[in-house]
Amino acid sequence: MSKGIRDWLEMRIGLDDLVKTNLTGSMVPKNVNLFYTLGFVSLVGYAIQVLSGIVLMIYYIPHPDHAFRSVQDIMSKVPYGWLFRQIHVVGSNLLVIAAFMHMITIFFMGNYKKPREMTWLGGAVMLIFTLAFCLSGYLLPWSQLSYWATTVVTSMPTAFPIVGDFLAHVLRGTEHVSGATLSRFFALHVSILPPLFLLFMAVHFLLVRRIGISSTPFGKSDEESRAWDRYQKKRHTDGYPYYPYFFQKQMFMALVYISVMFAIITFAPTLFLPVEANTPADPLKTPALIRPEWYFLAPYQMLKLIPNKFLGISIQIILVSIFIVWPFLDTHKEKNILKRPVLRGVFIALMCLWVLLMFWGMK
Amino acid sequence: MIRKLILYSCILFAAFAAVVHAGYREDFEREFLTKPWAGEQVEESSCIGCHSFKPTADENVPVQWKMTVHYENNVSCHDCHGGDPKDASMAMSHQRGFIGVPKPADIPDLCGKCHIGILKHFLESGHGKALKASRNGPSCVTCHGSHKKGNYIQKAHIDIINEQLCSQCHSYDRAREMKQALFVVEKKIQEIEGGIDSLRKSGVFVDEEERTLFSTHAEFRALFHSVDVTLVKNNTDLFSQRLIVLEQKMRETFSELQFRRNFSAFLMLLFAGMGIILLLLPKPPKE
Repeated sequence: MSKGIRDWLEMRIGLDDLVKTNLTGSMVPKNVNLFYTLGFVSLVGYAIQVLSGIVLMIYYIPHPDHAFRSVQDIMSKVPYGWLFRQIHVVGSNLLVIAAFMHMITIFFMGNYKKPREMTWLGGAVMLIFTLAFCLSGYLLPWSQLSYWATTVVTSMPTAFPIVGDFLAHVLRGTEHVSGATLSRFFALHVSILPPLFLLFMAVHFLLVRRIGISSTPFGKSDEESRAWDRYQKKRHTDGYPYYPYFFQKQMFMALVYISVMFAIITFAPTLFLPVEANTPADPLKTPALIRPEWYFLAPYQMLKLIPNKFLGISIQIILVSIFIVWPFLDTHKEKNILKRPVLRGVFIALMCLWVLLMFWGMK
Repeated sequence: MIRKLILYSCILFAAFAAVVHAGYREDFEREFLTKPWAGEQVEESSCIGCHSFKPTADENVPVQWKMTVHYENNVSCHDCHGGDPKDASMAMSHQRGFIGVPKPADIPDLCGKCHIGILKHFLESGHGKALKASRNGPSCVTCHGSHKKGNYIQKAHIDIINEQLCSQCHSYDRAREMKQALFVVEKKIQEIEGGIDSLRKSGVFVDEEERTLFSTHAEFRALFHSVDVTLVKNNTDLFSQRLIVLEQKMRETFSELQFRRNFSAFLMLLFAGMGIILLLLPKPPKE
């Protein structure tokens, strides 16, 4: 039976060649480590978000009068609705962690350098899209937590002179977070961001396949040191096949990711759903403590600390811009960050600053 | 070329940022959290504005009000005392319904604006009749307090019935009998309150349970204000029955939570097990 299907496909699409070219015949460097699997883990994370999101979308009602109730119905009345929502909520947070870690390890290993500048660029834009997904999805349950966190985050553009209020108005649809904001964020979350994200993802994968996986800078060989005067795919002829060996590693890490997700759902189900997440949004009742989600805490705290708010938001935009175009700014030939003390120091200082601001923002 | 362009853009942007719009942290807090889009903020009540001048907490009514259950439930000065909190010049205008400090005999009507069921039972009770006759008490604040130091209005609780308080006016015997009659239902109410709180902390939306408990509780306490032991005893079974139904529903929710935990633990173990199996699969051949 399976041979019949296989032959049928072989005759039409050249299955054997497809498998050989992309799986068994595609070689990866011998010294790749587990950090190289974080891109795949992020992909699995996105797939989980899409599948759980589709289930939630069946029952969710994007209207201020019904949104909260529909989410509560998903949690209590829809069979296994609680599981899909928990997967979506916990998964979104883990996904941000996985994507961050993917970018950090790429940065740390210098794999953004020539000829992979565009791969980095695509990845950085995808990370920003991921945060946009989180921001837009966060409002949808229409709880006190989501309403006020969105109020805070959508207020940030008002720091811009002249166009600030206009930008905030575009985001919210009205003067304050309202039903119009909910509609906009819902549309953004389910129909505007996904195709854009898929487009960037396709380009990202195309570039990864086209250029080939980079060797880690800590390995024995470093093919990137050669002159890049023309396109040449990196084939790693001395490496080992992607399938089954590297695929096993990727699957292992994906299973770790899923296991951690279920561990959080089992042992800390309210980690990302505190009491405020189960209280309907009340625009007239400002909670004692308003703060955005943990991944926005550092920029939020930074804005609070810098006296001039336009300066604060400008610094953030500059930092994000530098992050996105970093491969074009860093033209140093050395890939190994261990041999670049200044860059290493700045990198560690920025990481520490981020963590510090995040914990500070929690208070 | 690209590098230079980006660098110049950043410098220009930073320079623009540095010279435009001088503001401070207070400005940020005010702008970001109190603009109209941040929700319609509760306006500063003119009552609070004037009554906050007293230097000590003992005399400062707003400080004392913040110690009460009314503050916790957003019941403000004008809700009881009338007047217009948004207009300082009309805050104490009788045209705007200002009552001020009520006379003892008028207190039940003042509280009864919200606590309607209780008012009816209170007026028919021995307490209500005594107040009507003496015009001086006992009224609601005699037992429940107001916003005076050491006697703040707290969430109603069975321990309000105590020898020290009741024996100020009469012997404690009858009050003790009433407390015993209330005990079973009150205990169950407390247990259910604890259960609801626990469910809420577990991420369950307990609005319906809270409303059922609140209405049952309110009806029971309204009945108690008749100070009629026989009436309370006769109705205890009825209220207990309603609470048992609620308790049963909560028990089912707890079971559901336990099932969820077990199910997700099963999935966790399943995926972790698959991961372990993957670790056991053959590794790439070494040279």
